Amino acid sequence: MKNYLLFKAWASHRLPYLTTLLLLFWVTISSSQNVPISGTVTDAQGTLPGVNVTLKNKTIGTFTDIEGKFQINATSEDTLVVSSMGYTAVELLVGNQTVFNITLQPDETTLQEVLINAGYYKVKDKERTGSIAKITAKDIETQPVTNFLATMQGRMAGVNITQSSGIAGSGFDIKIRGQNSLRTDGNAPLYIIDGVPYASDPLGVGYTATVMALPTSPLNNINPGDIESIEILKDADATAIYGSRGANGVVLITTKKGKAGKTKFSINVNRGTAQVTRFADLMGTKQYLEMRREAFANDGITEYPANAYDINGTWNPERETDWQKQLIGGTAQITNVQSAIAGGSEGTQFLISGNYGKETTVFPGDFNYQKGNIRVNLTHTAPDKRFKTTFAAGYTHQNNNQPAIDYTIEARMIAPNAPALYNNDGSLNWENGTFNNPLRNLKGEFLAKTYDLVSNLLLSYEIIPNLEIKSNFGFTDLRHKESSSKPSTIYDPAWEVGPEYSLISMGNTTRQSWVIEPQLNYKLKIKELLKVEALVGSTFQEQIGSQLIQRASGFTSNSLINNLAAASNVTVDGNETSEYRYQAFFGRINLNYNSKYIINLTGRRDGSSRFGPGRQFASFGAVGAAWLFGAESIFNKGPLSFGKLRASYGITGNDQIGNYQFLDTYSATGGNYQGIIGLLPTRLFNPNFAWETNKKIELGLEVGLFKDRIFITAAVFRNQSSNQLVGTPLAATTGFTSIQANLDASVQNSGIELTTRTVNVETKNWTWTTNFNFTMLKNELLSFSGLESSTYRNQFVIGQPLNIQKMYQFEGVNPTTGLYQFKDADGDGRITPEGDRTAVVDFNPQFYGGLQNQIKFKNWQLDFLFQFIKQKNTNTAAVGYPGTTGNQASALSDHWQNSGDTATYQRFTSGADEEAMQAQVNYYSSTGIITDASFIRLKNIAVSYNMPSKWLGNASCKFVVEGQNLVTFTPYKGADPEFIVTNSLPPLKIITAGIQLSF
Amino acid sequence: MCYSCDDFVNVDLPTTQLSSNLVFEDYNTATAAVLAVYAQIRDKGLTTGNPSGMQIKLGEYTDELQFFGAGGQTDASFYSNIVLPNNNTVKNWWNNTYSQIYATNAILEGVQKSTALNTNQKNQLTGEALFCRALLHFYLTNLYGDIPYITNTNYNTNTTIPKTSVNIVYEKLEADLLIAEALLNLEYLNSERIRPNKATVQALLARLYLYSGKWSAAENAASAILNNTAMYEGTQSLDEVFLKDSFSTIWQLSPNADGENTLEAGSNIFMQGPPPGSALSENFVNSFESGDQRRTSWIKAVTNGTTTWHHAFKYKTFENTGTSVEYSIMFRTAEIYLIRAEARAQLGNLTDAKIDLNRIRNTAGLNNTTAMSMQDIIKAILKERHAELFTEGHRFFDLKRTLMLNEVLTPIKPGWDAKDILFPIPDTELLLNPNLNPQNPGY
Repeated sequence: MKNYLLFKAWASHRLPYLTTLLLLFWVTISSSQNVPISGTVTDAQGTLPGVNVTLKNKTIGTFTDIEGKFQINATSEDTLVVSSMGYTAVELLVGNQTVFNITLQPDETTLQEVLINAGYYKVKDKERTGSIAKITAKDIETQPVTNFLATMQGRMAGVNITQSSGIAGSGFDIKIRGQNSLRTDGNAPLYIIDGVPYASDPLGVGYTATVMALPTSPLNNINPGDIESIEILKDADATAIYGSRGANGVVLITTKKGKAGKTKFSINVNRGTAQVTRFADLMGTKQYLEMRREAFANDGITEYPANAYDINGTWNPERETDWQKQLIGGTAQITNVQSAIAGGSEGTQFLISGNYGKETTVFPGDFNYQKGNIRVNLTHTAPDKRFKTTFAAGYTHQNNNQPAIDYTIEARMIAPNAPALYNNDGSLNWENGTFNNPLRNLKGEFLAKTYDLVSNLLLSYEIIPNLEIKSNFGFTDLRHKESSSKPSTIYDPAWEVGPEYSLISMGNTTRQSWVIEPQLNYKLKIKELLKVEALVGSTFQEQIGSQLIQRASGFTSNSLINNLAAASNVTVDGNETSEYRYQAFFGRINLNYNSKYIINLTGRRDGSSRFGPGRQFASFGAVGAAWLFGAESIFNKGPLSFGKLRASYGITGNDQIGNYQFLDTYSATGGNYQGIIGLLPTRLFNPNFAWETNKKIELGLEVGLFKDRIFITAAVFRNQSSNQLVGTPLAATTGFTSIQANLDASVQNSGIELTTRTVNVETKNWTWTTNFNFTMLKNELLSFSGLESSTYRNQFVIGQPLNIQKMYQFEGVNPTTGLYQFKDADGDGRITPEGDRTAVVDFNPQFYGGLQNQIKFKNWQLDFLFQFIKQKNTNTAAVGYPGTTGNQASALSDHWQNSGDTATYQRFTSGADEEAMQAQVNYYSSTGIITDASFIRLKNIAVSYNMPSKWLGNASCKFVVEGQNLVTFTPYKGADPEFIVTNSLPPLKIITAGIQLSF
Repeated sequence: MCYSCDDFVNVDLPTTQLSSNLVFEDYNTATAAVLAVYAQIRDKGLTTGNPSGMQIKLGEYTDELQFFGAGGQTDASFYSNIVLPNNNTVKNWWNNTYSQIYATNAILEGVQKSTALNTNQKNQLTGEALFCRALLHFYLTNLYGDIPYITNTNYNTNTTIPKTSVNIVYEKLEADLLIAEALLNLEYLNSERIRPNKATVQALLARLYLYSGKWSAAENAASAILNNTAMYEGTQSLDEVFLKDSFSTIWQLSPNADGENTLEAGSNIFMQGPPPGSALSENFVNSFESGDQRRTSWIKAVTNGTTTWHHAFKYKTFENTGTSVEYSIMFRTAEIYLIRAEARAQLGNLTDAKIDLNRIRNTAGLNNTTAMSMQDIIKAILKERHAELFTEGHRFFDLKRTLMLNEVLTPIKPGWDAKDILFPIPDTELLLNPNLNPQNPGY
């Protein structure tokens, strides 16, 4: 009787409950022609008690007993249906057979039996002690996006992802359980693709990617269509085995693999369009010119200056152009083709896939983003099952061609009566040198080419039963080249500026890494009840990078602008090589008693070349525990189908500070003089900085009700990171703006996460499931010794979140002067940054989450996801100085005009009124600019229709219509509430239609 | 085991960086560190010939240039005299200049510690670094008033360093310059006059003494340069003054690459009106005496048929010429003659003052000055400075030191007020270092 006690306990709580259901739903009817049928139900481990045995289409049923045996009366035409939670149901025609021995296979799609990838090991979802969120291909595939980070938005508790811009190939900001590090660039999670660490550091610098809000991110290389699942490791139990790189969470990406069976070919084709989600509400010509006139009148200027072309009669006061529509209002075309061939035998499986995608832009001009990739996945298991190997390789090429600048800011600022873009002859109109035509930038291009290889090989061998030796070998090779050009054609041709004034900035980045991780894995069962799993391993990793940043000018022809050899002047702005080495030992011991009590111990000792001699090594570790109380006998009665309480505590670290920061060096970045390249000090150096540590504690509760038709996970967590490693801002008088140092400061992120999954309807034709996730997070600076005497006092406040700004307290418009007023906090009669920026504004979301529904009716399926976030942000409708050249929000109609007016906005100035100008500057640093940027967004909707199999035989054919960001509900005053840098192109709303064929 | 893992995570220096200690153990690399400072002075911050440098910005701020650009309020801030403490140019000037000063201090400390450099080499590099440090502080104090005078690379003290009053800054400047003067030779290291020599230091000393009213010291410093007639005298036309081999040049900056010319040319010259940036103010163009050849040689008119604009045409070449023809001149003898003239006039030596003044006038094709009294001569010298040195970054400082800013600018600049004599300290810096408080009056 294998595992007898285990099953007894399991069955003893399960049986009465199921019996209750039986009484509720079924009426037992006996049939006269019936014969008694009997049998035994087993799984790989032994007999299965409590298995539901019914007759198909009849209301007759029973359960297996403690020994897995059952008896039922049936006719020879009946079909036995044998089903149990966590196993694939089996249907058998009774016929003449009277004794059945049935073996059930675990159903991997059932929530509790799903294996979760925890990086170095896999764990059954129900037995995991750590906090791990997961999405799978079925969620990813419904989304017409090119960056996999986009597919996670709104779907995972504790994970907040913000898109930086709607430009194809632009980056995302991701924060897993809040900001741990004072450094804004030290909060990225660790990315691992099929076991290979993937560096996410930006690939260029700002001025080689002038169109992007953030420098180019390598994460675009990962094709969402290749991903089988994404797991996010959050708490100490899950992340401590990643030691120094686990503080900000770990993102594990597993790619699709082939399955044994018939060779299957599939092809998906998607086409669609995209447009900007929202425009800012700006002034038209009438309102704009009124503002300008009033501004000059306010300033006592009666004769309009020579360069006030919009109002001094140079430009037609009757013209009106919606520049947002002209410059960012286009429709982008999206095409995506994905094909794969997969299959294999029991011993060997393969998958080969190829993908091509193309996306044009919403800007004028002929620009596009293209991405192609191929992947190969091979798995082989030797006939004796002792030797196993997996090989995976993916190669991606991206080709991004965008205008050199993002038109959004110009679209918002150009005067609405500005002249036409083109002359009658089709040439650009410069309106006799008075109009800085925005299309001048069309000839300036952002060009990026990326080649990226990620490959890994996993070899494992079972030395003796349950003792496995294995090693992971990974190699990545990334080459990225990008440039932003500024040809002389961006100038008015009347200036007679030739190609000798054309400029190009080029960045060339390469990054190679290898990793070897030998591991030993041991499984042990003691007296059938206690299972022990042990793992020890070691990591050797090296990453070699190079970055060459060049600027070139003085071309003989603009058509040669991408050719450095044609430039008369080439400047090397940066030529860096870097070597990062990383070495670690790690281990795990997992004790599982009776599948009820589980303890998981993990640890890691890490060494990193990013630290100075003597400070390279540190140790990290965690303990996690789980109690599957649902299996206790007191819960036998009642609706509880699953219950688990888990807790974890541990220490992780963070080494994201860049390489060589402890060295005192000179670099050849000083520019050329006297024919010699100058040497400039590279940085202020500090040899003594060390690891940032992050202590995480979490308590989680997972409850399944009514056969898990309602499944709830709730977690409370608290992460404290201390020994903060930061670039302390310094006054410019030091010659630099910052220095790396450890600060005696501590940051806490605490919060709750709630996810629910409910099966609302489950009938033959209908299923409706709902997933909901909710995260509320509090970020707090706990301590910071010497804050008041440090330069950080302007940025941080103890007891407040990190992501705050100290601002002037806005007190509206003074009815007498018509100027913005601010609280004079220090009472010195003046508004000064150091004395009066006392209002603290928190830019962290107060809460966020998503609500996802999936409804299936026969061959139809509808998926939709609402993402919600409650947050504040700056109002991007406010740009520049109202009254000076440049369009403004139409809301400015509510401005001060005469003494006594109560108005929202202050009086206009043409730029000559220093008081009004200063008040406007202060306004931008005050609470007046802060507005509610919360939103609820229909993030994703997908409708699909599967052609009935009877029409197609073995083939399958599916039609899909997918939409992204289709509807946004927000009180936000600017354009789109989702942005990182103000006035970048808003995210796009996308609609695509596609067909998926496989045979 | 841990020995081996320690080894594994020790990485070599990147090939593109050089350990600071090693830089000053070799004369070539130590020189490269000094050359980097000149490249920075040429390309960035206050001294650059780009439109963001002070030659253009202060021209707009005073009465030399009229701004036409349609680029919005930020570009017009200097022309309209609405320069707020958050102004980017004000911040870039401050930050870049202190970054350049850091580089000079790092050189001074590195050279001092060096064991490989010989005394001559140490003297040369120390002299140049001290000169640059003084020059940069000199501009800062004239723009921002009281400023920190930074003499080392210690970031712990420099991040909280208080301001030093202008008088003390001047004393420190003078001390630095006197040491540099003693360390540097009369001969240039390079025939192109692109490395400061003793005369360059004396030129800055002469300017410093002029600004602080130390007339006889100014006269002596000027004479020390001008007496070297073999080096600084000769015959050349006005069109040749700004060529790279002009004998009147005391110190000039070599361009980034051979074939390139000055940033100043690109910033001043425009081909069509209205100008994309600034043009010479019409009042100034009309203020030239008739017959002044500088009006025709150094100024060029651009017309669109109805309106005519003028731009400075001292530097004439902005395109690439294969071999460079013009370099950015930092000091030239005309200024030194005018310094000596003014100093002599102030000392009552009117005869010699007029000789120096007339020398400049005659070169420009003008007759001798008619001024007789000391006051008139000084006035004539100031007018001559405007005509001779326009768009070379002198106008604001000349008006400021002679206390004429309000008198000259109030009638013609609606945005001008008395506080504009000093620029605001960048607001971000006041936040980072409260010891820089108080902000300059009126901001």
